[in-house]
Amino acid sequence: MVEKGVLKVLAVCGVGMGSSLMMKMTIESALKKLGVKAEVTHTDFASMRGMKADLIVGQPMHTDEVPKSAAKAIVSITNLVDVDAAVKRITPALKKLGYIK
Amino acid sequence: MDINAIATFLLNNLFNQVALLVGIFVAIGLLAQGKGARLTIEGTVRAALGYVILGVGIDVFIGGLIAFQNVVGAAFGITPPTSTNTLSGFLQTSGSAVALIMAGGYLVHLILGRILRTKFVYLTGHLMYWISVVIAVSVYQSVPGANAVQVALFGSVIAGIYWTVQPAIIQRFMKKITGNDNVGFAHTSSLACYLASIFGKYVGDPKKENSETIKLPGWLGLFKDINVSTSLVISLILLASAAAVVIGPADDAVVTGAAGALAWPIWAVVTGLKFAAGIAVLLYGVRLFLAEVVPAFKGISDRVLPGAKPALDVPVVFSYAPTAVMIGFLSSTVVFLAFMLGFGAAGVAAIIPPMIMLFFPGGGAGVFGNAVGGWRGAVLGGSINGAILAVGQALFYPALSGTAPEVATLADPDWYLISAIVMPIADLLKSFFGG
Repeated sequence: MVEKGVLKVLAVCGVGMGSSLMMKMTIESALKKLGVKAEVTHTDFASMRGMKADLIVGQPMHTDEVPKSAAKAIVSITNLVDVDAAVKRITPALKKLGYIK
Repeated sequence: MDINAIATFLLNNLFNQVALLVGIFVAIGLLAQGKGARLTIEGTVRAALGYVILGVGIDVFIGGLIAFQNVVGAAFGITPPTSTNTLSGFLQTSGSAVALIMAGGYLVHLILGRILRTKFVYLTGHLMYWISVVIAVSVYQSVPGANAVQVALFGSVIAGIYWTVQPAIIQRFMKKITGNDNVGFAHTSSLACYLASIFGKYVGDPKKENSETIKLPGWLGLFKDINVSTSLVISLILLASAAAVVIGPADDAVVTGAAGALAWPIWAVVTGLKFAAGIAVLLYGVRLFLAEVVPAFKGISDRVLPGAKPALDVPVVFSYAPTAVMIGFLSSTVVFLAFMLGFGAAGVAAIIPPMIMLFFPGGGAGVFGNAVGGWRGAVLGGSINGAILAVGQALFYPALSGTAPEVATLADPDWYLISAIVMPIADLLKSFFGG
């Protein structure tokens, strides 16, 4: 594995309470499976604009409106609790960012 | 020190300092999960801090709410509602009962899940908190001097039953949306969603008239940010009402007195922003303490109910029909505003549009409605939500005036239903509560 710093992930939803917390738990498990060291935070759509992250995950209705400059990669998650699906979704982005080969 | 003095000391310094009580619960949860010293300390402090921040947000929110009721009331010639307590005061005196209901209710939910072999685990943390608030408020409203231990016991049973039954009842319609049985719906908009599913089929065709074939204007996306939509809508209504007061026959002092040295239009806009800020702070506080509570609950339920599927917050259905979400939200808002004007003109009540509850339950009911009746079903679902919220607020603000009337302005449809069921039951059980 390429030696990289801790991956900063932001899980985003409308209010930053329900769905983003579920996504945070799912993404944490997915990253554990992939062996990537990461710090996952969950937040609401408004606060996201003032935060820095390598990867932003959210439901399509939100990721569609995330400015491209907000993170190095933006990935949509449709199933909030499916860890295997999350692994598939974030793998290309993590490869691009050099966190996995 | 005798035993009574020690008990009183503990009661005042620990049990009634809910932030500390919440911290202790979370600390126990984190230790039980074997999280280690650093994460346990961090999580405990965050949870306690979150609870304090929630209280600060509620104070700011109530300030904005009172200004809104005064000005909008004056514009319509309505005397603003009076109350003898506030949500803020209630949580300070009775917040421990709320924390106990949340923990006890989850236990009851897990026990029921095991006995009844139900499919779903309720994982919407903020609603576990608010439902516990609603139940405690309803009991104390019926039985003012109720004993906290009995309230916690009774409340735990009610909350546990609700968290078990609600996802089970709505599942047959949830399946129509998701196409499978893998995920449940855990949200207090279920009353509106259920009605939308029952009646939606009479208004349209889910295939030929599906909402997702409609393209809505892109600028509507701004309403997805509830901070923006709350600020905009509340400021605009305040501005219009303040203008009506200043120009019309009502006593100008209602506006100019509150505005003080500020010009009244500026005051109206700033007050709208402060109201939205109060809600944003309140939500931030809830987020901080739930970030620790929900993973702990999930960890426990994964072990106690290994085969159970998660029942999740309302946005879980949003990606199945995003346009139906916006249609539901818009129709919800239009219907609510129509009720607001109607209630005002009739001199019944000055109600405040709850933008979060118009968006999320309105959007949810829109998706459920669309699944059985296309876009017309979505309009119907949203409208049902708007009507329930308007009538519910007008009825329950005065009905909860002795405990925490503001709950009526933060409520989703099921909150009113729970209150309407719990209040008379508590009244019947007066002697049990020792009131």
